[in-house]
Amino acid sequence: MVDIVPLSSYPSYIDLLPSIQTCNITNLPENYFLKYYLYHALTWPQLSFVAVVRPKGGYKAGGGKAGGDLSGQYPKVVGYVLAKMEEEPTDGMQHGHITSLSVMRTHRRLGIAERLMRMSQRAMAESHRANYVSLHVRVSNTAALRLYRDTLGFEVEKIESKYYADGEDAYAMRLNLQTMWLDWKAIEARDKENEKTDEDQDEGEAVGELGKKDDSKDQERMVKVKVGRGLGVGDLVERNESQQS
Amino acid sequence: MPQPLNPKDQSLFRQVVRNFELKQYKKGIKTADQVLKKNPNHGDTQAMKALILSHLGQSEEAFALGKEALRNDMKSHITWHVYGLLYRQEKNYEEAIKAYRFALRIEPESAPIQRDLALLQMQMRDFQGYITSRTAMLQAHPALRQNWTALAIAHHLSGDLEEAEKVLTTYEETLKGTPSVSNMEHSEATLYKNTIIAETGNLERALEHLEKYGYRCTDVLAVMEMKADYLLRLGRKSEAEQAYTALLERNPENSIYYDGLIKAKGVAEDDHKALKALYDEWVEKNPRGDSARRIPLDFLEGEDFKQAVDAYLQRMLKKGVPSLFANIKSLYSNPSKRDVVQALVEGYVAGNAAQANGSSESKDNEFLVSSYYFLAQHYNYELSRDLTKAMEYVDKAIELSPKSVEYQLTKARTWKHYGNTIKAAEEMEKARLLDEKDRYINTKAAKYQLRNNENDKALENMSKFTRNETVGGAMGDLHEMQCVWYLTEDGEAYLRQKKLALALKRFHGVFNIFDTWQEDQFDFHSFSLRKGMIRAYVDMVRWEDRLREHPFYTRMAVSAIKAYLLLHDQPDLAYGPIADGAEGLNDEERKKALKKAKREQQRLEKVEADKREARKAAAANAKSIDGEVKKEDSDPLGNTLVQTKEPLKDAMKFLTPLLNLDSQNIEAQTLGFEVYFRRNKHVLAVKCLAAAHAIDPSNPTLHLQLLQFRKALDTPSEPLDPKIAEVVNAEFEKLFPKSQTLEEFNDSFLTANKNSALHVQAALSGRQFLNKDSATQNEKDLLATLDSVDIMMSEAMAGLDLLNKWGSDKAAYAEKALKKWPESSLFKLD
Repeated sequence: MVDIVPLSSYPSYIDLLPSIQTCNITNLPENYFLKYYLYHALTWPQLSFVAVVRPKGGYKAGGGKAGGDLSGQYPKVVGYVLAKMEEEPTDGMQHGHITSLSVMRTHRRLGIAERLMRMSQRAMAESHRANYVSLHVRVSNTAALRLYRDTLGFEVEKIESKYYADGEDAYAMRLNLQTMWLDWKAIEARDKENEKTDEDQDEGEAVGELGKKDDSKDQERMVKVKVGRGLGVGDLVERNESQQS
Repeated sequence: MPQPLNPKDQSLFRQVVRNFELKQYKKGIKTADQVLKKNPNHGDTQAMKALILSHLGQSEEAFALGKEALRNDMKSHITWHVYGLLYRQEKNYEEAIKAYRFALRIEPESAPIQRDLALLQMQMRDFQGYITSRTAMLQAHPALRQNWTALAIAHHLSGDLEEAEKVLTTYEETLKGTPSVSNMEHSEATLYKNTIIAETGNLERALEHLEKYGYRCTDVLAVMEMKADYLLRLGRKSEAEQAYTALLERNPENSIYYDGLIKAKGVAEDDHKALKALYDEWVEKNPRGDSARRIPLDFLEGEDFKQAVDAYLQRMLKKGVPSLFANIKSLYSNPSKRDVVQALVEGYVAGNAAQANGSSESKDNEFLVSSYYFLAQHYNYELSRDLTKAMEYVDKAIELSPKSVEYQLTKARTWKHYGNTIKAAEEMEKARLLDEKDRYINTKAAKYQLRNNENDKALENMSKFTRNETVGGAMGDLHEMQCVWYLTEDGEAYLRQKKLALALKRFHGVFNIFDTWQEDQFDFHSFSLRKGMIRAYVDMVRWEDRLREHPFYTRMAVSAIKAYLLLHDQPDLAYGPIADGAEGLNDEERKKALKKAKREQQRLEKVEADKREARKAAAANAKSIDGEVKKEDSDPLGNTLVQTKEPLKDAMKFLTPLLNLDSQNIEAQTLGFEVYFRRNKHVLAVKCLAAAHAIDPSNPTLHLQLLQFRKALDTPSEPLDPKIAEVVNAEFEKLFPKSQTLEEFNDSFLTANKNSALHVQAALSGRQFLNKDSATQNEKDLLATLDSVDIMMSEAMAGLDLLNKWGSDKAAYAEKALKKWPESSLFKLD
């Protein structure tokens, strides 16, 4: 029996990464260094999910978690979705992207891929206010196409010629996610209410400016990462600033 | 003393620094040389040039120049800083830290030096040093949130939760008003603080904090999970029930949520009716889901089970879900459930299902073929094995659907279970040919070839999906892509063939991948602070500390240690595999065999060199993708590795993490004994024995080791240091009391375990060890183990290995085994 669990949020099952990498290289021609998986898990910890086989007799009670905890138990990984936010969207629209998704042939048609996708999509909308999610799929992969288009509602945006290393074309697909956005107005209203009560209690504390864009975010240096074999893990390394003296 | 540069050269020097930062390495060297032409002893310029050289991969030249720079200018923070960076590049972190400290003493205000030092302290888990560094960095730039978070992390990881929380709170208090919802750094920091509170064990306060601020954290799922977890642990059941219900509404395919919900509702574990009703509710809510249908099969019994499993099976078979058996087999640990499933599906095949199903013919057909497929897997599975039936059913399925990869794959599996690796590999290759674009089946085919010791064929198959222009070809790409499963299986296949050089080569390849994974964390020490995703970062740091606890590591390390032990015991194997029974050869024959092996080794080296040349020629035009210059491996065949003078010392590299991180693994402990015993490390050897004894006192391998150790203590080749002897004897007395003789000990083990083939084998080995003259009797008794109905093929294989070790004739044993397992290829002697 298969469970769908988060990769690196709460609970965090980051020790599944080597098995996820194995699942990927067993099923797909597009492979990545472990560091590239780490990069996803540590930059967008909310977006990636894993499908694991529940061991006989369930998970050992560990990590103090009430419902059971699978860290340190290394269950078999039979599927995963590795997802990210596009860092430099060409259209200026904040959106998510599916880097890789696969399910072992032994565990097909149990709805695992669909569930993984839905979890990731929702997290993209909630955590990152993604306008849409995009992905690429081989034009010959009819099973995947059926899942994305018919089950999940993706639309083909365009065909990317010779997208894959072996020369095959890809459908570039996308799905709107705005309907799952959080209601920020409601959150801000609650913020205001809370501040009011705090103010009543502490008397006279300054009220902050709501909705002010946090500028520290803009100072953040963008880290460019190539997709696929180039991997760009080298580019993750920061520029060495030690010699600016 | 350094001479100051003139203004023109000064500006050139600044340009070198810029060149380096922009990765314009060649330009940088040119500019540096311009400065050095006029100022040949300018330390800072030499240092910068050294740094660039090291980034170009010329580490020897870089170090030489870096040292010279230091000699020329001992009082420059640049020369020291660069010296540290050179060490860092070499991954010699301890020396790097020292150099940074010198640099920092000269230039205490330098932020870059301080930062580089802090990164290394984190990498080395020097938490006290890290706290000091991060405190200094915070004092320098208190406006930056990252600096506060980093200090909190430092305290948190060092175990000081209270201080960690305090630091976060202090920063929060400087905030004027609530940051915007879009501020993810704040959202994450809030949740980070919450996990710290929860780690103190004060869940009340954690929950209170979460309820106050959780609504504005955008990682919604995490907030829900935390809340449900806290509520349940606090025993606030009705709220916990709501929380788990909410989680299931988001994701009904997670058994942990159902477990939580059941605990919250207080449904008794044996109240199957109530449990079933609960799950049925969720089936109704998610008719397309699997978990709520599947989980009740685990606890239902008797007629209830039969009804439920019947419905489950029929539904899935009608849909033709290929993974049905994979989802069912865990029920088989209960034999009556296994029998019910078998009877049901046999029934469907016999025609019961046809009427239940009705509709169109093709649907009936799909149902039937799915049922055949299910039964083929059922009869393959170890708890319900009947390989004749398995083969019958899989052939029926293939007849109806000859293009199915799954069915053909199952046929190959059946051969594998027959013990026929040759047929298994052949049939799997047929499955691969049914869908050449599918990597999963390609992977399987390669794996089966490796199990049949066909290393070259397997690589040929793998190469259909690898990037073969990589340095080192397909094998190079498999290393680069960190394909641990393949390298491990490849190494194990070589080990079986006693090709130790290549076996060690692969195991070291995997070992290096683990080193890379450990190294991978380095960049995140700074990266994650900028990104603000602190919880995931902290989890990563903790995971890296137990990285080698992973089963991938254990499996590889166990094999590597076995290879080194074999090499130690049979040093001739360094020259290549020498036919079985090399021990029985006289000197003349042995020399001849060695000569032949050496010739073969030379031939292989030549072949490999030719291949390398061919690749080089082909790659001359091709551009390297990442622009990095990758060197060809200077020892692709592992010949340098295998020619080690100290195989046991080399084995330690693999053994140490295994014993530290996977100490509950009995095989690790028994292997630890083998290594320490051969190295005459008696204290460590007895420690392994004690650990193994605590896990399973009647383990067969352990039994033989106890005999060997006792005998070694009774008749030492050289006397033990009395102090050591005292410790060892005291410890060993608990495992094997002196009051018992070796023979008694062995006999009572045999009597107590006479129904287990492996235990009997261990006792016979013991007898052989204690008395060489007992050989004839031992061979006879070993042969008799084959009469047992319970003996498994793998156990019989171990028996064959024993005869090999004893130098006995294997023909009679092999013949008898072959009669018992006529389809197997494992007992055919060459």
